[in-house]
Amino acid sequence: MNGILIDGLSFALPLFIMAIGGIYCEKSGVTMLAVEGLQGFGAFVGAFAAVLAAGGFSGSSQVPFYIAILCAAVGGGLFALLHALLCLRFQANQVISGVVVNIMAMALTAYLTKLLNRLLFGATSDKFVLTVSYRFTVPGLSRIPLLGAVFTNVYPFEVIIVAVAFVAWFVMYKTRFGMHLRACGDNPHAVDAAGRQVNRIRLAAIVICGALSGLGGICFAYSISANFSASIYVGYGYLAIAALIFGNWRILPTLGACLLFGFARSGGYKLVQVLQMPSSYQDLVMILPYVLTLLLLVFFSKQNGSPRALGEIYDKGAR
Amino acid sequence: MKNKNKIWNAVKIPLLAILCSLVAAGVIIALTGSNPFRAYYALLQGSGLAPKAAYANYKSMLTDLFSYVNYFTPMIFAALAVAVALRAGLFNIGVSGQMLAAGFTATVLVGYSGLGAVAAKPLVILIGMVVGGLAGALVGFLKYRFNINEVVSTIMLNYIFQYVISFLINTYFVDPVSRQSVEVSAASRLTLMDTQAGNLKIDIPLGILVALAAVVLVWILFDKTKLGYELKAVGFSRSAARYAGIRVGRCMVLSMTISGMLAGLAGVTYYLGYMGSIQPKVLLNTGFDAIAVSLLGSNNPFGIIFSTMLISLISKGSTYMRSTAGVDTEIASVITGIILLFSACSAYIRHRLERRRSEKAQTAKEDR
Amino acid sequence: MGEEYIVEMRHITKRFPGIVANDDVTIQIRKGEIYALLGENGAGKSTLMSMLFGMYEPDEGEILIRGEKVKIESPNHATRLNIGMVHQHFKLVSNYTVAENIVMGMEPVKKVLGCIPVVDIKKANSDIRALSEKYGLAVNPTDVIENINVSTQQRVEILKMLYREAEILIFDEPTAVLTPQEIDFLLEIIKGLREKGKTIILITHKLEEIKRIADRCAILNRGKLIDVLDVAETSTRVMANLMVGREVSFETEKKPADFGKVVLDVSNLNVFNKQEFQVVKNVSFQVHEGEILAIAGVAGNGQVEIADAIAGLMPVRSGKIVLNGEDITGASIRERTLKGISYIPEDRQNYGVVMDFTLSENLALKNYFKEPFCRKGMLDNRAFEENSRRLIEKYDIRSGQGSGTVVRSMSGGNQQKAIVGREIELASPLMIFVQPTRGLDIGAIENIHRQMIAERDRGRAILLISLELDEIMNCADTIAVIYNGELQKIASAGSLTTNQVGEFMMGVRQKETEKSTAGKSEAGKEAAGKSATGKGTAGKSEAGKEAAGRSVTGKGTAGKSETGKEAAGKKVTGKGAEEKGGGEE
Repeated sequence: MNGILIDGLSFALPLFIMAIGGIYCEKSGVTMLAVEGLQGFGAFVGAFAAVLAAGGFSGSSQVPFYIAILCAAVGGGLFALLHALLCLRFQANQVISGVVVNIMAMALTAYLTKLLNRLLFGATSDKFVLTVSYRFTVPGLSRIPLLGAVFTNVYPFEVIIVAVAFVAWFVMYKTRFGMHLRACGDNPHAVDAAGRQVNRIRLAAIVICGALSGLGGICFAYSISANFSASIYVGYGYLAIAALIFGNWRILPTLGACLLFGFARSGGYKLVQVLQMPSSYQDLVMILPYVLTLLLLVFFSKQNGSPRALGEIYDKGAR
Repeated sequence: MKNKNKIWNAVKIPLLAILCSLVAAGVIIALTGSNPFRAYYALLQGSGLAPKAAYANYKSMLTDLFSYVNYFTPMIFAALAVAVALRAGLFNIGVSGQMLAAGFTATVLVGYSGLGAVAAKPLVILIGMVVGGLAGALVGFLKYRFNINEVVSTIMLNYIFQYVISFLINTYFVDPVSRQSVEVSAASRLTLMDTQAGNLKIDIPLGILVALAAVVLVWILFDKTKLGYELKAVGFSRSAARYAGIRVGRCMVLSMTISGMLAGLAGVTYYLGYMGSIQPKVLLNTGFDAIAVSLLGSNNPFGIIFSTMLISLISKGSTYMRSTAGVDTEIASVITGIILLFSACSAYIRHRLERRRSEKAQTAKEDR
Repeated sequence: MGEEYIVEMRHITKRFPGIVANDDVTIQIRKGEIYALLGENGAGKSTLMSMLFGMYEPDEGEILIRGEKVKIESPNHATRLNIGMVHQHFKLVSNYTVAENIVMGMEPVKKVLGCIPVVDIKKANSDIRALSEKYGLAVNPTDVIENINVSTQQRVEILKMLYREAEILIFDEPTAVLTPQEIDFLLEIIKGLREKGKTIILITHKLEEIKRIADRCAILNRGKLIDVLDVAETSTRVMANLMVGREVSFETEKKPADFGKVVLDVSNLNVFNKQEFQVVKNVSFQVHEGEILAIAGVAGNGQVEIADAIAGLMPVRSGKIVLNGEDITGASIRERTLKGISYIPEDRQNYGVVMDFTLSENLALKNYFKEPFCRKGMLDNRAFEENSRRLIEKYDIRSGQGSGTVVRSMSGGNQQKAIVGREIELASPLMIFVQPTRGLDIGAIENIHRQMIAERDRGRAILLISLELDEIMNCADTIAVIYNGELQKIASAGSLTTNQVGEFMMGVRQKETEKSTAGKSEAGKEAAGKSATGKGTAGKSEAGKEAAGRSVTGKGTAGKSETGKEAAGKKVTGKGAEEKGGGEE
């Protein structure tokens, strides 16, 4: 039971932070299908930074890990500028732009990983090897029955994510910037009339989305795969999008969706283990979140809370 | 004369996008210390469009050319699938999933059946169309009946297909050596592999004939038929189409069905033509690249032939490029990515050019 | 000299591709007055004010605010100069509260933990409450925009200006979306603002509003300033003639009607909208061959839903629709078209045409599936071309590249001509015209009226739905008045005066109870007293002076109807005409 909670949480939280990124972007009125690409590119930059930095620290040092997290967020944010360029400057279709950004991210990271490995380390490898992050257990709290699992074997990034998520929520709902951002997704003309620049706000939202996605990506790299390669693109970005749709574009319900996805996954894995089924049955578990999302949409599509101006290109001239 | 102008107008912006991309990628190649011209020439050589310095036994430029055609056939179908949906105003992001579903079903039902070639090959094509069509129709139905955005439902279905089929393959059909699905029978294969022709051994892709037929049929559908008129009307304006008495829901389901059928054909020509087996847990990029290919071809069936050939040329030739020009194969997808990037902006560039032209015409008029 | 005026726009010229929107226009506005800009659609009023509000820059000329020459670069800049504008299309965030909308961009901020700035929504609410009380603009700061009605939303827009301390308030066609009672209320608000020292610029084409509240009035025609008048000393007739640029004629030639058999028989029709709100209540009427039956009503009272239900675009909850003796209540849209319904919809850009189709494709939108356009599922391009050439000629549809023109690039008037031509060519026994002249210029309006009457004379049954009372008085043989989804009255056109129709439109004739009625019926009485007219079938009537103005109100439709000016009905007249688009420039 504890295992399910621990593993579920460590999967759900990176997913959650990526979904928040998606919410930021979509709440500002820009369709975001590029979470996957931003996650991957951010993770790539973070992993590269970690590998570079690793030489300067002792093997057990955790500093490279924090450097990686920072760089992943920066890398994701920078790569998101591509989506911003296509959507805002060139007014490209936002769905197409998202697909193109994903393709581009995958191509670039695969190419660069190989190139950098060869040029800098003289190795023919298509991955950056990372250490698995250490974990800690909060003494005392972890003894609480059931809930104690939340404080057991915690990855440090989980704490970071919870903190960042809180800040993201606060900014979105309590500050002027958040207020303008949400307004952009409903009626950009109103924001313009209020003297704020719609495209600047959307640019910020897209970059934030990139940074949060990169953060989520590096967390996956450190927890699940312990290395970075182009194969890290395994659909978590789209899963995050599913979560935010499930959560109706609101942060707290989206957390619920992510936890559901996380526990369904870890619970399913556990079940496969306990029943001693072949590991291929895990694949069946993996479809759960997607099936759930589809079913949910079938039953609740009427009260779909997507932002009203989502996907619309804002042209100041048009009245 | 007028016609020529029209074609030139349609073609010049994609051409510009390609040119810009080749230059940009050339710079990257040059920066990593290789000769971009040699690299590009190697792409042509690898695809059988230019002679290589030497050929192994039973091989020649023709062998490479046929294998190139074999390679790009599924992409033609996939890009057509995207284009058909897009004309009716829908995004089919689920081409990869539909390909997998169709390929898997045909593999299990026909590939492992021991049927003779005459029965098996048409059956494979038929099953591909039916399964792909059903998968597409489901998306259209969800959109029409429950108002579920097709982008969302196709992404969800992609993963559902991917994991379920991966489970089935690993449980029932896995080849323990290759860790892929067991290879399909030669009789069911849509590509005649290693066929002796003169002193050569070539792979003859039968699918390309179907693909070319599909191109013509899609063109006729949109340019000459009542159904095409209705689909386009729905794509441009659902409300106006409804007002005109067109059954919008039926059109959406139909266009997704046709799109799915084409995706299914892409699936069988890939899995039972080019590959012969299915790798579990892997969703092809073909379906996503197809969106870009279709875009680059301006959603026009004939344009799609050219954009498919171009994009495929780059990825197909990349292996040979690595061996002769020393450029990583991964650069191929980077070049493709840059082309896509530029073509995604093409609508805007076209719009700007048109506006400038009309403004110029305006001032010219006033000056007079 | 200069200090006397708070706003001066001198020798302003603004060109757009193809037209000169403003041609050497000079206006001078005094502090504390209500200054009206009067003109037809396309006269250049909105463009002129857009320049004052910083949305465009003038090509020539200069702007002075409080005697100082300024170059207004953006709406933000205009706001800093204490200029505010209420646009025709409100710019409100639908899921935000009233207060959030008003303060957006200038939110009160408080510090949390002494350093983190957050929006102080409590202060915003109390600020807005105080502001709304100060100006008598009742709003509840915590209501969400999507739950409040249009006139409250408009008050929110006004408060937005006042919150930004605007001194110069521009109103762009503010009454277009309001009901008559709401118009009365708004005009009172505007007067109140003047008393508080604000300067008000009112863009409108409704003479009656100007007469009621404006001090001075500038008249624009085709981009040129025609005259600036003192409202108190000028008759509406003079204003009308100046606005239109010629003597307004009120007559549309029309033979007496000759009714044949019943074509459309609607009985006990009930329609609910998507929100499960009943929009049409137990409506019954008949339309005969050779009859124009017009449904009059204030926008949003269910008349468009009646048309949609007859055409099959909206489901019928209960009741029966019979066309030429055949029950078509459950028939599909296509079946109804084939059985003989032509339909010119209200929203031409979203329904009437496929904007990205070519003209020839659009001209066959209702019969592309029939011979000669289509044989065995295959289309014949030549048939499309031929059909389009014929209609372009016959209906004088102008476009850049003839049949091959993409309709999006055509002007609204020509799009409408294409729709009207296409629908008339169907030669259906029943033709439904909804707002057929919305946003068109006078010439085009007269043309469409002529065609409609010609079709009537050919024995078609015509259902006309219009928000322009003048249009209805001018064309109809029978008038049905709808209020709140119910038909209040059906009578032959000759037996009703405009005033009476107006009263039915507001539901006053029926119930004399609610408090809102009080003010309204007063207005009605006043109107009746002044106008004395009533327009018979015969056409014009005396009424002379004020009357003329009124008809022009509805953009010069003119018609025989004169009627009194203030008549309740009149207010309704121009209303709705330009909701959504279509309108100016």
